[in-house]
Amino acid sequence: MPVQVIVFGQLTDIMGNSPVTIENAVDTTDLIDQLNQRYPALVNKPYIIAVDKQIVTGHTTLSGNNTVALLPPFAGG
Amino acid sequence: MITERKPKNIFTQGPIAASFIADSIQKHDTKTNIGGHSIFLGQVRADVIEGSKVVAIEYTAYEEMALEKMHQIREAIFAKYPLVCMHVHHSLGKIAAGEICLFVFTSSEHRKAAIDACTETVERIKAELPIWGKEIFEDESYQWKENK
Repeated sequence: MPVQVIVFGQLTDIMGNSPVTIENAVDTTDLIDQLNQRYPALVNKPYIIAVDKQIVTGHTTLSGNNTVALLPPFAGG
Repeated sequence: MITERKPKNIFTQGPIAASFIADSIQKHDTKTNIGGHSIFLGQVRADVIEGSKVVAIEYTAYEEMALEKMHQIREAIFAKYPLVCMHVHHSLGKIAAGEICLFVFTSSEHRKAAIDACTETVERIKAELPIWGKEIFEDESYQWKENK
């Protein structure tokens, strides 16, 4: 199942401003592994993960057609 | 009675004008049950970092998620404090040093609820809304803002 990945803030310096599609990822851990291989600069960068706008922790199963957002530390205001 | 509140758009392209803030205050003159307003205004600061001066902050957001989260914050604040109303506006795009980028406005019958709700809302906006700021220097180099 394809997963669409969007990033914000400092992570756009690494992955750009357009969504990236990962063809097949079973869960968020698998997804991050694949992203780390494709974008080595992503490794060890601080961010949290949101699946379909909900913040998740740990291994989260991706059911297909999810949008996964990588969110670096917030800096509003 | 719990009133259903719809998610509001808090985002404005560009800075928040002083005239917009003045108009917003003016509009409350018909709500005569209000006895106190509290307003927080965030202004872009010209920080000097390693000899370079910040001339603007360019704000971006994960807008859909931010609006959902802001709706939750708004509901929680209304549940906690006896507010008459609350208005929140946050800038997106490039905001020059000295311009207003955040406007939080709470009103209640008595001052304490308005003041406490305003403070808590500002803190939660900074901590919980997916918004980022790129600090742009005079030479057009940049660094990503970190909230303290």
